[in-house]
Amino acid sequence: MAYLDYKVAQIPTGWRKILHISWPLVLLVTAVCCIGFVMLYSVAGGRLDLWAEPQMYRFAVGMVLMIGLAFVPMWFWRGISVAAYVVCFLMLVAVDLFGVIGMGARRWIDLGPIRIQPSELMKIALVLLLAAYYDWLDIRRVSRPLWVIIPALLILAPTALVLIQPDLGTSIMLVAGGAIVMFAAGVSLWYFAIIAAAGVGLVTAVLKSRGTEWQLLKDYQYRRIDTFLDPYADPLGAGYNIIQSQIAFGSGGWSGRGFMQGSQSRLNFLPEKHTDFIFTVLAEEFGFVGAISLLTLYMLILGFCLYSALTNRDRFASLITIGISGTFFLYFAINMATVMGLLPAKGSPLPLVSYGGTSLMILMLGFGLVQSAHVHRPR
Amino acid sequence: MIRTPLRPLARILRARERGENPDDIEAENRRRRHEEIEARAHRRAEGRLVLMAGLFAMAFATVGVRMGALAASEPAEPGAQVLSAQIMSQRADITDRRGRVLATNLLTHSVYAHPHQMVDPVGAARGLKRIFPDLDEERLIRDFTGDRRFMWIKRKISPEQMQAVHDLGEPGLLFGPREMRVYPNGDVAAHILGGSGFGNEGVNSAEVIGIAGVEKAFDAWLRDPANEGAPLALSIDLTVQQAMEDVLATGMRVMNAVGATGILMEVRTGEIIAMASLPDFDPNDRPRPLLTGEPSDSPLFNRAVQGQYELGSTFKIFPVAQALDLGLVNPSTGISAAAPMRIGRFLINDFHNYGRELSVTDVIVKSSNVATVRIAQMIGVERQRDFLRKLGLFEPTSVEMVEAPTGQPLVPQRWPAVTAATVSFGHGLAASPLHLAAAYGTIANGGKRVTPTLIHGRQRPEGEQILSPRAAAMAVDMLRQVVTRGTARGAEVPGYEVAGKTGTADKPRATGGYYKNKVIATFAAVFPASDPKYVLIVALDEPSTRNANGIETRTAGTTAVPVAAEVIRRIGPLLGLEPKTDEKLPTIAPRFAPRVEPGEEAGVRLVANQ
Repeated sequence: MAYLDYKVAQIPTGWRKILHISWPLVLLVTAVCCIGFVMLYSVAGGRLDLWAEPQMYRFAVGMVLMIGLAFVPMWFWRGISVAAYVVCFLMLVAVDLFGVIGMGARRWIDLGPIRIQPSELMKIALVLLLAAYYDWLDIRRVSRPLWVIIPALLILAPTALVLIQPDLGTSIMLVAGGAIVMFAAGVSLWYFAIIAAAGVGLVTAVLKSRGTEWQLLKDYQYRRIDTFLDPYADPLGAGYNIIQSQIAFGSGGWSGRGFMQGSQSRLNFLPEKHTDFIFTVLAEEFGFVGAISLLTLYMLILGFCLYSALTNRDRFASLITIGISGTFFLYFAINMATVMGLLPAKGSPLPLVSYGGTSLMILMLGFGLVQSAHVHRPR
Repeated sequence: MIRTPLRPLARILRARERGENPDDIEAENRRRRHEEIEARAHRRAEGRLVLMAGLFAMAFATVGVRMGALAASEPAEPGAQVLSAQIMSQRADITDRRGRVLATNLLTHSVYAHPHQMVDPVGAARGLKRIFPDLDEERLIRDFTGDRRFMWIKRKISPEQMQAVHDLGEPGLLFGPREMRVYPNGDVAAHILGGSGFGNEGVNSAEVIGIAGVEKAFDAWLRDPANEGAPLALSIDLTVQQAMEDVLATGMRVMNAVGATGILMEVRTGEIIAMASLPDFDPNDRPRPLLTGEPSDSPLFNRAVQGQYELGSTFKIFPVAQALDLGLVNPSTGISAAAPMRIGRFLINDFHNYGRELSVTDVIVKSSNVATVRIAQMIGVERQRDFLRKLGLFEPTSVEMVEAPTGQPLVPQRWPAVTAATVSFGHGLAASPLHLAAAYGTIANGGKRVTPTLIHGRQRPEGEQILSPRAAAMAVDMLRQVVTRGTARGAEVPGYEVAGKTGTADKPRATGGYYKNKVIATFAAVFPASDPKYVLIVALDEPSTRNANGIETRTAGTTAVPVAAEVIRRIGPLLGLEPKTDEKLPTIAPRFAPRVEPGEEAGVRLVANQ
């Protein structure tokens, strides 16, 4: 940024920074989290202590974390980006070697009192590193093949480690999150067009190969595709989640069955109702109105972030903001894919709403970075 | 890219003239270029960001629209249940001629397992074993803990069993509604109804298909939704059928028979009012077909329709009626019955030697083989054969049961003189009791051919006239005299004017030849003789009883006849027949005393009755 003569003097310092935090964003995040508390209280059958209360504590900690991170200047993030990536990468390797097995996959590192899920931290670290990389890289070289291959490798290396855990959802998030940063950094659209074409070709090949001797996926994976296209083909097996979700949506109707009145969720028709399927509980109890309200809040959060990125002349800060909002969006997208049965229901939370500490903390950390970028933007 | 030279010479020279520092120009140039690059990158980044924001917004909009569609949709579950309910009530009921239910549907439940959803597979297996003791607990545990995803436990369970399974509280045990065919009368009319089983089985319904009898013959009709649940009305009368089976069962026991069959048919329409074959079975729990031995050993075997029996002397009325029709004889014509009679190298004998002069009526009344053969010889082989064919004795009956085609009569290939002779008194041609009923029906119906049917109230074409009404009436009169003074005196039921003919035929051995001590005893009856309405066939398989003197006897007159009489006594009132007890009514004898009349044949009986 040598040739950017922004006026450093106008960037707030000390406690004054608190005035420059994007308070609307704080408010929106709090609102979404509150919806989460209400839903967790309802799903637990009117009990606070089961899920809602721990979630509130985590939110409080996360809020402090977010505000605290907002005070950290940009140079610090730029400085630790490479180190953060390397540490996360090593932790991923460690997980694959001697991690703790939970929910059918090896994802956790046990560090005494807390358990760390390095794949989640990697989402943030990857965004940091890519932002720093494109900030460092001469803007004229962005689309040169060599300088495209390097970030591609930086994305794919941790993705591979996550895939063997196995954790398809997080792998998709890492690839897509990295791609979003590369896209925002201005990598030529041709690369994305080629990837898209390859993707279409791959899907076609996968579908065409079914039943032939060079079949690319396992039979159950094809069945999952079939089920997504026609859930009623296997209503008690793979199609169960989709159908129960649809019934929940349908029974919610426009205004819902009322708080704590959702029969689908109350009667345990829905699996993982406090985590992956909390959106359907919301849709059943508060109907279309409730669901669309949550969607609107999400859109507003994304809108604020993207606007902040758009107006931020610091390339590094802008890319971080975009990367974090992309990650946030991907959480939502992966959760929707799970609810629709496209992905297995194994820990793909609805961001800020689902019960679970890791995703909440990661997102609060991310929003802290966004706030930091916002506070320290050049003026 | 066109590069702007860093130090444009012209500007530097100009600057030097003005005394400015050329380095400033270079610095300014550099700043401009950087700004340009920065601006371009920024525009690009802005474009990308806007594009991305647009994509995000589109993704949210898609989810929102989809949710709106789902919110507007009706909950899917009730709809699915309505659909399966439609499938379930498809098969129509079967009723008797008065609308009483013979076969209907009952909604029961099946229980099946999804082992992968089980909480406690071992406990579930144990609980099931307690409820259904016939299940194998070891096997259940193996199946529940293996990787099977679906298995049937029981196809049909009672509500109590369902509740018990429900109380196990095992989420992996599930129930499906299931339509079940029920025969509320148990084994009554079992052979007619046949039975049903399950075809395609699903969790929510199972296809009920007919596997025998009327159920199979009308399977398509019963399942056709276009009939809108209209029941299939059979010609059977449930009470008469029940009475018939009752009496036959008792008769079978008293006469020590291995089997019994009875057919009651309405003469005018050919509708079968009762048809029984013993031993029988319960169609609710149809036994498995035998894999070895004779098919007739199985209770599934329908003697009335599938049996192929030489029906013996009951056949004698056919050549006699034909001879009367052809005008070869009249009831009082004398026929020589001198026995034995020699045809080629065969001897034909009678029970007694009835002498040289026997009236045609007495040929029937006394059941003379020899005289019958003489009458058949008067008719000739060709005409005799034609007549039997017209009576339907050469073809399977067309009764509406899947078993009917298997009742193909055993008809001799060639008809040398001896075959024609033996066939005339009922040997050498094996047919089912139903064939006999149809043939007697034709005689009782004034000579119009009768085709037996099991369907009530259907319009059917008038049968072909194969005997003159006069000859038919004379034949019935002779049959009446068999009961009043002949071999079937035991069949007289006061008031019902029973007419009929006995037949006792030795059973053929499977290895050829005949058993000496095994017979089929048949009584073919028509009543009331003055206006025949019903034909009754009773046949006992291997009967044996002792007469008053303690001597073993197997003849139809002492076995089938008393059983038939009991049947008529029981069912007469059920049929609404009024017993004629007025002794002043014209007796049969004077009716066919030689008279000048009639001018018109059709008027004979009417004139006589008035």
